[in-house]
Amino acid sequence: MIKILIIALLLGATSLFAQVSKPIEMPYIDYPMVKGDHDEVAQQYCLICHSFGYVLNQGKKSRPYWTGTVAKMVNEFKAPIPKEDQQTIINYLVKHYGYEANAGH
Amino acid sequence: MDKINRRNFLGAGLILGASTLLGKETNKKIITSTKEFEAPIVAFPQKKPMKAISDRPPLLESSRDIFSQVITPNDQFFVRWHMPDIPTYIDLNEFRLEIKGSVEKPLFLSVDDLKSKFEPVEITSVLQCGGNSRKYYAASGQATHGVQWGHGAMGCAVWKGARLKDILNMAGVKSTAKFVGVNGLEKPAVDETPKFFREMEIDEALSGELIVAYEMNGEDLPYLNGFPLRLVIPGHFSDSWVKMLSEITVMDEYRKSFFMDVAYTVPDNDCECVISGSDFEYKRKPIAAMKVKSVIGYPTPNTVIKKGSRVQITGVAFDQGKGIKEVMISLDGGKSWGATALQKDYGKYAYRQWTYSWEPKAKGEYTIMVRAINRIGNIQPQVDEIGWNAGGYQYNAVDSVNVKIV
Repeated sequence: MIKILIIALLLGATSLFAQVSKPIEMPYIDYPMVKGDHDEVAQQYCLICHSFGYVLNQGKKSRPYWTGTVAKMVNEFKAPIPKEDQQTIINYLVKHYGYEANAGH
Repeated sequence: MDKINRRNFLGAGLILGASTLLGKETNKKIITSTKEFEAPIVAFPQKKPMKAISDRPPLLESSRDIFSQVITPNDQFFVRWHMPDIPTYIDLNEFRLEIKGSVEKPLFLSVDDLKSKFEPVEITSVLQCGGNSRKYYAASGQATHGVQWGHGAMGCAVWKGARLKDILNMAGVKSTAKFVGVNGLEKPAVDETPKFFREMEIDEALSGELIVAYEMNGEDLPYLNGFPLRLVIPGHFSDSWVKMLSEITVMDEYRKSFFMDVAYTVPDNDCECVISGSDFEYKRKPIAAMKVKSVIGYPTPNTVIKKGSRVQITGVAFDQGKGIKEVMISLDGGKSWGATALQKDYGKYAYRQWTYSWEPKAKGEYTIMVRAINRIGNIQPQVDEIGWNAGGYQYNAVDSVNVKIV
């Protein structure tokens, strides 16, 4: 009993003087990805730098929008995605998280 | 780095599993539904459950009801990182803030040094992401690239730290210095990805208003808000409020970089918007001073209120530091406007809370709108008046909330 109390006191004191005195543990969230149409290619490259939450957050977007987004990842953020795989990813995103038409956004 | 990659690899497998389950059920909906994906509500370290747009890098959005108070609690303060590799542990015995470049005496300062060798200063200031409220641009016509934030990528806190000016003076800025660069400990997953590096002119860095903060609302900075140090630039969008600040580089020349010259830029014209053609045909400028803005904290959208009850409508307003002069309110979708009561002034860079007592006398749907004006006459644009930019930055159009009186 006394031992437990001492531990409780120590824990309390620690959290007071340094809130980040030990490693924090980040939660993992499994953002759902529609399967099929080479979702494994999207997984392989998109998830190097960011969760799929980034994609889901965009809502449904047009083909030009997704094309521009993938181009940004490659050209600006230097994502190492071969040309052919870029097209596969765009097609996957348009099919499951977008639409073909340009108008309406 | 290694750890993060392994975790990601494992994560990919988990996602695959989850999507297998979801695939069947939602297949039909995916094609026809225009419903937004609802981000899960998750409690991250030192945080209450918040809307988790992403876990890596962490993007956590505050809920609208937070705008019914002036000070945003640390455990509900929004989170936005750019890079996936963020230290999950910082040993304060080892950690040093480095001041280098065009200085007489480079410095390596511990957090204790910052607390003991410099005069501590406190400022209450709004911290707002440049892309805050971005999703509302889609309502006025054209979607914009970037994280589709609601209003919840902003907060207001009391920041305590040392003046950047005092730190630079201790290092002794050389007369050739023209710019100051800042960066923190976050790292990209791919080495070629541009580093998160921000720059400002030397005069701004020496203005005396910027602080290197080690406390937020009387506590150590939460890890996810930049423990142990964060740059505070009152009145400015948060792009240069570098988290886990580790290096301050005094420079004779401007250094071109993705995060200064491409991201967080708008057309360099009076409206900072696209008048015709493509956004990137315009000369660019980095976003800096915030625009006058007000947001409704209560009631929240779709609140059902009993006829005849007394409703205390409230929210916050702020600008770039000129001060809020008035916040107007409309209860009929913008046809007529009245004045709200401004509450206590916490300083020119803080939220100014406003309130309005309302006793709805008839049943039906109501649209509450608010519109702020600052002391130099800047007024929030109407939703259909706001200038558009491709990055979706600086959204500050009139806020509205629909409620139902029963």
